Amino acid sequence: MSKVVEISPTTRHEGHSKLVLKVNDQGIIETGNWCSITPVRGVEKLAVGKTPEQVPKIASRVCGICPIAHNLAATEAMEASIKCEIPKDAKMLRHILQLANRLHSIALHDILILPDLYIPGTEVMINPFTAEEPVRTVAKRIQRLREIGQTVGQIAGGDCIHPRNTRVGGMYRNCSEQAKTKMYDLAKEGLVLAKAQMDFMIAVLRNYQARESVTVGGMKVALPKTLGYHNQGYLATDAFYGSSSLDECPTWDIDRFKEVRPWDWYMGEMEVSLEEPRYPVGGTTKLGTKVNPQMEACTGIPMYDGQPVEVGPRARLVTYKNYDEKGTVGQNIAREMEYTDSLYEMIDCIDALNPDGKVVADYIPDGDGSLGWASNEAPRGTDVHITRVKDWKVQYFSMLVPTTWNFATCSAALTGAPWQLAEVIMRGYDPCVSCATHMIVVDEDNKLVAQKLIQ
Amino acid sequence: MGAELGKYKACVSARSTDKEILKHAQDGGIVTSLLGYALDTGIIDGAIVAVNKEFAAKHQSLIMRDNTNWDMVEPWRPFPAVVSTKADLLAAAGTKYNISPNVSMIKEATRSFGLDKVGIVGTPCQMQAVRKLQLYPIGARDVGAAVALAVGIFCMENFPYQSILQLVEDHAAMKMESVKKMEIGKGKFWIYGKRGQVVQLPLKVTHKYEQPGCHVCLDYVANLGDISTGSVGSPDGWSTVFVRSKIGDSVWANAMAAGVFETQPIEKVKPGLELVTKLANEKITKNKNTLEARKTFGVGKALRSPYI
Repeated sequence: MSKVVEISPTTRHEGHSKLVLKVNDQGIIETGNWCSITPVRGVEKLAVGKTPEQVPKIASRVCGICPIAHNLAATEAMEASIKCEIPKDAKMLRHILQLANRLHSIALHDILILPDLYIPGTEVMINPFTAEEPVRTVAKRIQRLREIGQTVGQIAGGDCIHPRNTRVGGMYRNCSEQAKTKMYDLAKEGLVLAKAQMDFMIAVLRNYQARESVTVGGMKVALPKTLGYHNQGYLATDAFYGSSSLDECPTWDIDRFKEVRPWDWYMGEMEVSLEEPRYPVGGTTKLGTKVNPQMEACTGIPMYDGQPVEVGPRARLVTYKNYDEKGTVGQNIAREMEYTDSLYEMIDCIDALNPDGKVVADYIPDGDGSLGWASNEAPRGTDVHITRVKDWKVQYFSMLVPTTWNFATCSAALTGAPWQLAEVIMRGYDPCVSCATHMIVVDEDNKLVAQKLIQ
Repeated sequence: MGAELGKYKACVSARSTDKEILKHAQDGGIVTSLLGYALDTGIIDGAIVAVNKEFAAKHQSLIMRDNTNWDMVEPWRPFPAVVSTKADLLAAAGTKYNISPNVSMIKEATRSFGLDKVGIVGTPCQMQAVRKLQLYPIGARDVGAAVALAVGIFCMENFPYQSILQLVEDHAAMKMESVKKMEIGKGKFWIYGKRGQVVQLPLKVTHKYEQPGCHVCLDYVANLGDISTGSVGSPDGWSTVFVRSKIGDSVWANAMAAGVFETQPIEKVKPGLELVTKLANEKITKNKNTLEARKTFGVGKALRSPYI
């Protein structure tokens, strides 16, 4: 007889979400639903009628964790719609900015997952805020890596959180020779730290993987070897940056994408029949509480080739580097491996940047209303923005953000895991929920959005 | 009164020992030499200064770049620029009686210019802006800590560009292009032409061209600069220097030890601090009157005094 348990809100990630889990008598998840309960931002509606200059700035404000990906994807979607090619140096600055954000984000995610993990060879769970060694050194290294990412982002993008240097048609200004040197020095410093941090994290994750059981809120839980496994497939548009409909060979196909509504996907109304007061922090939802993921979830379910897919670091590594490890640990290790990758790529981009080069396109068309999309590989996955610009006004705007892709995939990955570890699996996706919550567009006949889009 | 000169650790009359700088400088070459010294010794790695049109057109990467048509830009229009070499600094020497929004570059200096230690030159109001930005860094993340040296310049009031145009082209009957130097001193506005002609306008004439916003300012000697300087109080070719903050004190002491400046005690020179005090009090009294008068402005509510 299966029971229903709800973990709400989930912790140690951006945004507001919950897990509704149908578990068997052994506490193993039969069906898991991970849904966003962050209120709708409405960015896509706000964008309509604005100028293409405004929309990326607004889109960036949807969230403060990967605003750079949103800003770049929206800017490039505008450029794709109006068909504007930007100069090479502007592209390089955008690459540097995006990689700086990725570096910062991976480091931040380390802090969020460390409390789930153990110091190897001990039963001590890691508290990243303790003053004791070896954790303090790691915490300092993480903060320095974040600082490096943010500083490089500030130089390339003007600001590290909501970059103001990007514009439709390129960048507002190039950086000076002095700034280029500073970025280079920072990237080199970061590389040494990132290597050390990657090695540390992989060691800690492998140690976790080798354990028979882990402790959650005083409960001893057997650790399955298949924690977080799923068979949903992967989607990545580039090893580092992204793609757009302007590309000669775009790596994303709008025809293969469709979106369904949460009430076609999630479980219907149920009653909580399992309560665990020991579960951190403050226990799970009280017995008898009514839950209804169908109606409560605020996201659409995007599909690629008719199935939800995984996006994120592992998807990039699987698609472009033959990585093959499944499960939550494999996913976290893939993320750690992107540390050095992003810095090597950043160094290459800084090398290629000419500080005297032009960064604004000579001619920026007003747009003829054709559909344009751009994807940007945010730290946590593919972020696709779709737009239509006509006469310098945005007619249509849609954001397909990383965690929206991952909601359904992660829900599938929950099956077979002890319910106490559901949050560990969810954190492996480095969720960033608030941007995932967005309006979906269906017409009166419930026609699919994608079909409507490409008419 | 008594607080009109602000807090300072030392006050001297000084001039640069560098003849090249003195050739280009307005008075004693204090700002140029000080920033040059700070650049050489790594106290700052770049400075925000006001440059002229010719320099800006040639070095567009040092200013806020846009699609400016340089043929359309008027002569003597100042541009804030971030310079990091002594040669560029020299090109910026000399007062431009005009508004140069130097503070607008301060964030960009720490961003696309990649500076860690910024030097900035500005009028008293600009020093206030810099300090306020350090205190409340809203929209200026990591900028405050990067301000390594702020040099203030004495200021009675400033002129918008149109005013300078009016004064030079109408009152002095000269073309802007042919002006070599402008100066306020001895109660007059002096305009020196490239062909050697000199025109002096009584300050009475210039008053109505002043920027109205300046008439609420109660700071004559840049109280909030690390070091503030101006010609008033010292003989021709020399400048009065107030060393105010700890940073200012150490930079000045090191620059003196390195022989960048020659000095005379301010007590020994004519007209000395007496004149500085007199003018500072004049400015404060006059502008306090404006502040009082403004209390009667508006419908039912007075314009707020910026000092409350």
